[in-house]
Amino acid sequence: MTIMVVFTVYFLIPIWWLLVAATKERGDLTTTNALWFSDLNLVENLAATTGYGGGVLPRWLLNSVLYAGGGALLGTLLAGMCGYALAKYRFPGRELVFNVVLGGVLVPATALALPLFLLFSQVNATNTFWSVFLPSIVSPFGVYLTRIFAASAVPEELLEAARLDGSGEVRTFFTVAVRLMFPALVTVFLFQFVAIWNNFFLPLIMLRDERLFPVTLGLYTWNTQVNQVPELRLYVLTGALLSIVPLIVVFLLLQRFWRGGLGTGALK
Amino acid sequence: MRTTTRAAGVALLALTAVTACSSGSGDTGAAASGAAAACEPAGEPVTLTFTSWIPGIEDVVALWNEDNPDIQVEVQTGPNGNGGTYQNFFNQLEAGNAPDLGQVEYDALPNFRVQDGLVDLSACDDVVAAQDEFVDWTWQQVQLGEDDAVYAIPQDAGPMALFYRADLFEQYGIEVPTTWEEFATAAEQVRATGGYITNFSQADVNQFAGLVWQAGGSWFGNDGDQWTVDLTSEESEKVAAYWDDLIERDLVSTYPGWTTEWDNAYNTGEVWTWNSAVWGANSIMTGAPDTAGAWRVAPSPQWEDGGESAGNWGGSTTVVFQGTEHVYEAAQFALWLNTSEEALTALIEAANLYPATTEGAALPALAEGVEFYGGQPIYDVFAEASTQVSPDFVWGPTMTQVYNDVSDGFSTAISGDQTLPEALAEAEESTVAALEAQAIPVAS
Amino acid sequence: MTTAVVPGRRRAPRVTHKRAIAVFVAPFATLFTLFYLVPIGYAVYQSTLVVEREGTFGPPTQVFGGLAQYAQVMQSSAFWDSVLRVLLFGIVQVPVMLGLALLFALLLDSPLVRGRRFFRLAFFVPYAVPGVIAAIMWGFLYSPNLSPFRPVTQSVDLLSADLVLWAIANVVTWVFVGYNMLIIYSSLLAIPAEVYEAARLDGASQVRIAWSIKIPLVMPAIILTAIFSIIGTLQLLAEPQVFRTFSSAVTSTFTPNLLVYSTASVPNVPLAAAFSVVLALATFVLSFTFLKVTQRKAFQ
Repeated sequence: MTIMVVFTVYFLIPIWWLLVAATKERGDLTTTNALWFSDLNLVENLAATTGYGGGVLPRWLLNSVLYAGGGALLGTLLAGMCGYALAKYRFPGRELVFNVVLGGVLVPATALALPLFLLFSQVNATNTFWSVFLPSIVSPFGVYLTRIFAASAVPEELLEAARLDGSGEVRTFFTVAVRLMFPALVTVFLFQFVAIWNNFFLPLIMLRDERLFPVTLGLYTWNTQVNQVPELRLYVLTGALLSIVPLIVVFLLLQRFWRGGLGTGALK
Repeated sequence: MRTTTRAAGVALLALTAVTACSSGSGDTGAAASGAAAACEPAGEPVTLTFTSWIPGIEDVVALWNEDNPDIQVEVQTGPNGNGGTYQNFFNQLEAGNAPDLGQVEYDALPNFRVQDGLVDLSACDDVVAAQDEFVDWTWQQVQLGEDDAVYAIPQDAGPMALFYRADLFEQYGIEVPTTWEEFATAAEQVRATGGYITNFSQADVNQFAGLVWQAGGSWFGNDGDQWTVDLTSEESEKVAAYWDDLIERDLVSTYPGWTTEWDNAYNTGEVWTWNSAVWGANSIMTGAPDTAGAWRVAPSPQWEDGGESAGNWGGSTTVVFQGTEHVYEAAQFALWLNTSEEALTALIEAANLYPATTEGAALPALAEGVEFYGGQPIYDVFAEASTQVSPDFVWGPTMTQVYNDVSDGFSTAISGDQTLPEALAEAEESTVAALEAQAIPVAS
Repeated sequence: MTTAVVPGRRRAPRVTHKRAIAVFVAPFATLFTLFYLVPIGYAVYQSTLVVEREGTFGPPTQVFGGLAQYAQVMQSSAFWDSVLRVLLFGIVQVPVMLGLALLFALLLDSPLVRGRRFFRLAFFVPYAVPGVIAAIMWGFLYSPNLSPFRPVTQSVDLLSADLVLWAIANVVTWVFVGYNMLIIYSSLLAIPAEVYEAARLDGASQVRIAWSIKIPLVMPAIILTAIFSIIGTLQLLAEPQVFRTFSSAVTSTFTPNLLVYSTASVPNVPLAAAFSVVLALATFVLSFTFLKVTQRKAFQ
């Protein structure tokens, strides 16, 4: 228990610092105690941050929600279907597909960026929502996890029973397997959501229109302009705080699915 | 089995696309090289795209769009040049979808030229006619050593001068240095009071280049047949040895620039001076708010008593990228943006730019005394400095790499494992190698 | 629809449910091909090119150069130094991080800890912080003059050449412990309760149960997190890149990926592609070896 409390402090102090920093005036940032509030300025900071550049930050947050929410949802579905098929059907090339997918994880993002950009340029699709959204929904990790999970959590007998009831394969997947695989799917969703939310390298290369930026790229852009407009330093911190909040909300909402029993209960 | 076949089909299709793409970009590269592009009006309404990272640029462009319904400009923003926008420009040039216009700093122009990314605007009469409006050295910078070519329209400049804490110098009875020799002496006196005379930031290699520039050196040369790399020229060595000595004796601080730590060092009065560009005025104002009224600006210390030379740090241009179909309109916009009183006033207000035109530098917005600097009309000092910047400094075609390598070497030097001149010698070697890797002819 | 119930079909060693397999696999396979395989293929192709031009400002043309770029890679001491640096980083940081993650997962799964939800959230929150922002925050906490922990940071310069690697390791650990903890924890949850019943009846202690039942059962999850950590270590980019702005000890070639990034911005795309290919191969060899060594334990 003591260990847990000590590490809670370790994990939360930087977040606490961010929260405190976001409530301060710019001058107080360096001159007052970094871990305690001085003059509360949070409302002004929030207003200034969300209003800067014609109020573009709320739009970035919305974009991020769309990229990450939509991308994670679709990505989880596709990965779940693929992982399920790899776990539950035998077909030639099955291991090959699986290994190739796993191999995809090994390639550094920096290597894929330029070829992806050229590819999208071919179809005139750079600087669009899709140029960021589509590549984001591919989750090799999701395929790995759902395959492993489906292999143990979805019993053959249940599938056979569904087949005997006359249920088609696809319907069986959505009615029986998805329910059993739910903990794994939630895991994949969560990790994919965070991965897309945090990714700024792909948007950096694909997007030119500020209105399409996700919040990480937007904040990064501000951070590079700090030399010219120093007030941006504070806006970056306040914006960072704002960008963490939705993730915490998502995690809280999904938290109940982590409870044991959902996957195991279905096995009984 | 069917899936495998289908997957193979998709792969094949995509592969064809990639091959087509790579050969396609090769073609445009070959076709675009050569003489200045034609400069004819399209005779119909056009829409141009313009990528820039100047804060508030949208509002400035809106002024143009209002008055020019036939030449509409769409602004796209991004991180600053080395923060990713240059990389994007290179990718877009390769893919053939670069914007019509872009912001490029002086030091990156040769890099874009060597990738065949810039349109020579010398066929546009208005552009050629505008030469006299610009401060001489800025125009030299956009010609890239070719007498008749114009590869960009200068936007702003960064002539350097010495920001100093007048109050501290007075309090401790130390003379404000006018030569680098006096500067070193003053550095000892300042150190004796517990402070540092200035900060040496290893990452700001272009500031160091500005110091070499002031000393009359140049890091590169280009005679049309081959490049010369001279990071270890006499002047460059002299400047490096000078700062190496100050660092060695702990007479200057070595905070990485642009960090809160660095702001703090100025805000608390630990560091007394900054030999910086004109745009630095704003950096101090916002980074060290507690020191309002205490700063003044003097000409940079000189290498020779009574000397009159200044360095330059930073500054951008507006370029027209290869692949545009509207050279004429793009040039018109670039000229308006960088010469008209309306645009320059807006740029000064939005982003504290210091215009590259003679008239722009004399605009009312830059003539007044600045309260933060005790009411001193500081821009007069910079206007003077701007006339003293040598037109002979040449940037190399791989400056990102040069900055990285020099900065890496300086880091090692600051931690005490080598000297600044040694770092320059190493960077010179790696720069030659980088040029050779790009098949750029270089004298060895 | 009826194929499954026809007797005799099931005995045949043929592929059944072809259509279902296609429906399940094709969407992912298509996108994976388009957004992973094709770009990888293109990167490999790029790595075989060399640039040619005439004159100081001659337009560049890219021609086939065989393995010329790979010869450059082999000779690049900066590249191999950076690989060794991240290996050293990984050998220390990955076991520490996973040890902590396993410990926390076991504690969360044991009856010893109350307030599980709170701890789960508290430990996972750092993962919600983008790497770039996390590095900026820690940079501030490390700062000798501005840190709230000045007594520590003024006596030990965490941003100096000797320590900065471990300062970065701390940031990575901070961000990813919770993530790895959740992977291990979720696999602990998947263990049916009956498995423990016998042990509990025998009066085995929690530590004993954890050591001899739980850990072996979650070994695959641990190996999974280890492999992802190894890959992540070799691909370090965002954190060192941010650290460059406030520590003079982090060079532009500090990690392999940072080197790829700075090479690509020259822009020397073919060489950057060759670095990436070698890096991917090295990653593959490392994670594959690790998998082989641990496989017997994991997937018996």
